Amino acid sequence: MMKGPSGPATTVASAAPVLRIGAVSKFFGTFKVLEDCTLDVAEGEIVTLLGPSGCGKTTLLRCIAGFWEANGGTIEIDGQHMFRVPVNRRPVGVVFQSYALFPHLTVARNVGYALRMRGLPRAEAKARVAEALDTVSLTGFEDRYPAQLSGGQQQRVAIARILVMEPRVLLLDEPFNALDAKLRGTMQVELRLLIKRLGLTSIFVTHDQEEALTMSDRIAVMRAGCIEQVAAPDEIFDRPATAYVADFIGTSNFWSARAEGGLVRLPDGQTASTVLKGEVRVMVRPHNLRLDAAGQGPWQGRVAFHRSVGPLVEYHVEIEGGMTLRVATMRQSANRPIRDDASVSIAVVDPALCAVYPG
Amino acid sequence: MAKASFPKLAARPGVGERLIDALLSGRGIWPAVPAIVVLTVVAVIPFIVLLSLGFSDFVVSRGEIVSQTFSLDHLSNALSDSLYWTTFQRSLTLALSTTALCLIFGYPVAYLFLVGGRWTKRLILVLTIAPLLTSGIVRTYAWLVILGGRGVVNSTLAGMGLIDQPMRIMNTHWAVLIGMVQIHLPVMILPLIAVMSRHDGRLVEASENLGATRLGTLRTVILPLSVPGIGTGAALVFTLSYTTFVVPQILGGGNYLNAATMIYEQVVYSLEWSKGSVSSLILMLTCLVMLVAIALVTNHFTRWTRGSDA
Amino acid sequence: MIRHRLFPLSDLLGLGLIHAVAIFSLVLLVAPSIIVVIISFDTRAYVSFPPEGFTFRWYAEVFDKGELVEAMLNSLQVGLTVTLLCIVLGVPTALACVRGRFRGTTALSVFVLVPHMVPGIVLGVAVLFAGSLVGVVPSIWLQSIAITVFILAVMVRTVQSRLMRLDPALEEAAANLRATPFQSLRTVTLPLLMPAILAGAVFTFVEGFDNLSVAIFTHGFRDRPLPVELLALVQYTSSPLVAAVSGVQIVLAIAALVAVSMSIGLDNVNE
Repeated sequence: MMKGPSGPATTVASAAPVLRIGAVSKFFGTFKVLEDCTLDVAEGEIVTLLGPSGCGKTTLLRCIAGFWEANGGTIEIDGQHMFRVPVNRRPVGVVFQSYALFPHLTVARNVGYALRMRGLPRAEAKARVAEALDTVSLTGFEDRYPAQLSGGQQQRVAIARILVMEPRVLLLDEPFNALDAKLRGTMQVELRLLIKRLGLTSIFVTHDQEEALTMSDRIAVMRAGCIEQVAAPDEIFDRPATAYVADFIGTSNFWSARAEGGLVRLPDGQTASTVLKGEVRVMVRPHNLRLDAAGQGPWQGRVAFHRSVGPLVEYHVEIEGGMTLRVATMRQSANRPIRDDASVSIAVVDPALCAVYPG
Repeated sequence: MAKASFPKLAARPGVGERLIDALLSGRGIWPAVPAIVVLTVVAVIPFIVLLSLGFSDFVVSRGEIVSQTFSLDHLSNALSDSLYWTTFQRSLTLALSTTALCLIFGYPVAYLFLVGGRWTKRLILVLTIAPLLTSGIVRTYAWLVILGGRGVVNSTLAGMGLIDQPMRIMNTHWAVLIGMVQIHLPVMILPLIAVMSRHDGRLVEASENLGATRLGTLRTVILPLSVPGIGTGAALVFTLSYTTFVVPQILGGGNYLNAATMIYEQVVYSLEWSKGSVSSLILMLTCLVMLVAIALVTNHFTRWTRGSDA
Repeated sequence: MIRHRLFPLSDLLGLGLIHAVAIFSLVLLVAPSIIVVIISFDTRAYVSFPPEGFTFRWYAEVFDKGELVEAMLNSLQVGLTVTLLCIVLGVPTALACVRGRFRGTTALSVFVLVPHMVPGIVLGVAVLFAGSLVGVVPSIWLQSIAITVFILAVMVRTVQSRLMRLDPALEEAAANLRATPFQSLRTVTLPLLMPAILAGAVFTFVEGFDNLSVAIFTHGFRDRPLPVELLALVQYTSSPLVAAVSGVQIVLAIAALVAVSMSIGLDNVNE
């Protein structure tokens, strides 16, 4: 059985963070790719960097790995500064988007690569390769070449290759991109369970929110080089700190309103509380809206389109002012879908779950 | 289970290895330095010497230059010499007609490559690359065999009773032109094939689906898309045929003077080095001008390859 | 709706013409070489077609003629020297051009290309003149280095294009897996570049062996390379002897072709 990272650090849980990223900045020429990114990752925690392409998440990962040197700020692993520490001396393992398996080496040689580079005796290296392959359930594949493996198997070789060198921090750069959609779901769960079992401290980069919600203990949502919010998946989903996060994670409905005396009036007559004043934007998730028969409330609309999304039915409801709201309800046998073009009235289920942002 | 932890540091590498690491890790220019030095010593400096010899009077003694003074005489002599003008004109005409004919004969091969199946493609590649691995002299010699007095052409024609006397093809302008076209044909075909295989076969299908005939597709889709290949091929064939030495020397029978054979005679036989320098410089300069012209024409027809911000 | 229509007659005629020209061109590419091989077995002492008999006499004579064998050996030496120099100088240059992070990587690629763009004959003359200026007389070594400079670009380009298609993550992965830059070069980059280096080696060897335009000005007076020897032979004799030498060279070319197709595949030659 593969044990967690060696050394005394394993015994001390939730003490000092394993990885500290302090106000890291990175420029390409005059273009600022990262700005004051700060993030601590605790022992055994999986933190996801989530954001659209070009938000700087991969840049931050590459700075941690040492492929690029940050222009400002500090990166510490176990309290040791990584500034000017070359890539091959950092206690970091990277699973690349393309896996970057060496095509000319067998699985065994790929997995044993790091051991060979450090000059470990052959017999010991062999035993540790076997152990790592066992961990990822690839025993018996030693003499295959990467091209002879499936995408999922390649990913596991990439992980085994990292495991043999017992990194303190595991970095995963969109590792599911090369897999087809069907395999992704299972691999996500499998990989999370494996990492958790090994107790590896990990940073996971993705642009896919579903992946992030599956894989992470905490999610750091990034936007244009800055970290917007760091929180557990549930919190990110239920209480997004900014309109950007709300918009990026899940589906959301926005409209403008005015806040007075700590209250915002919702179109269906209810009120939501806020600390803001003046022009605000109100956000409500589709599942926090309800459709009733026409005329039952002051908020009227017309169903333009509906579709079934698994166990839910999603309605696109046109309201006054040309806006379209998305409303999601559970599919129930009694609750027959409302027909397209039907007039409905809309109500907020729980005003406390409405989020209010500066306008 | 107790086990040795991952070794933190490797055995200390040797001095040589550490030096290589230092040179490589900076991602600097260092690996290229030997090549830069060699190119400077064996190409850049010689060109400067060539330039200086073309613009100076000098005395050669026992293969070494003993004195040198600046002079424009050689250049003005060359420019007022009608032999230069006719020779360079002949070279230019020959090179341009070779380029045009190579395009005419090469393009259909590239088209066949585009529309052909796997084995057709392979056959074309083998037939095109194989000659490039064969000596130019061997390939030129073949034409001696074909076009000679008792060669393939004459014996065939005589055998069919079409001629009584062998035709004189060797040692004429035509022999040189035929040889040039055949020898440079692969150089034209390869860039065309490269550009053809880069494009999506679905473009052709789309064009035909939209109602174009095969010829129409060739004219409106394939031809415009292959302009970069035509440019590259034309530039290569022009340079080679403009400066070639072997073909005129062998098929021209030693009295067909083009720029290259003239330089050879000036440098090797009559030992007129300043004349040789001036001729070389004129050759290089005119070649460059033609290449720029070809590039400009190609550029005009490939505006679509450049992004909107360019 | 657009009805499917048959291609018109003009289309068929045009296509027929194009295919006819293509086939003619393809025949034109190989026919001369085949004729030379046929001639090389002729019994008559002058070049004539069709041949009258079959003999290996001319091949035997090639290897009896001391100066031809010596010329072949000279060219072999030049070819090998050029190949070796091109690998030693070219592969690191390609690395610097593609992986370098200094200003002027493009300028470097262009700089390497320039001697190849200059007509070979001009480079030959320039090297001859410059050599004599400092007292370096033409020799097999001057010839080798001059051809190296002329053909280096081919090696650099071949390796460069392969390097550009190589996933940069592979080298990053090596570094991440604790390899030093030298280890990463030795265990990852070079093995993956090997096919391109082999293909480049074939082409630079052929150039070193066959080059005339540079060699004719820089070869040593006593060690004449095969192309120079052949040129004289072609110009002053008319026996099928040259055909036999050509036959030998064609066999070598086929060997080279097989080597290339096995190292990188023919499809990849043409970058």
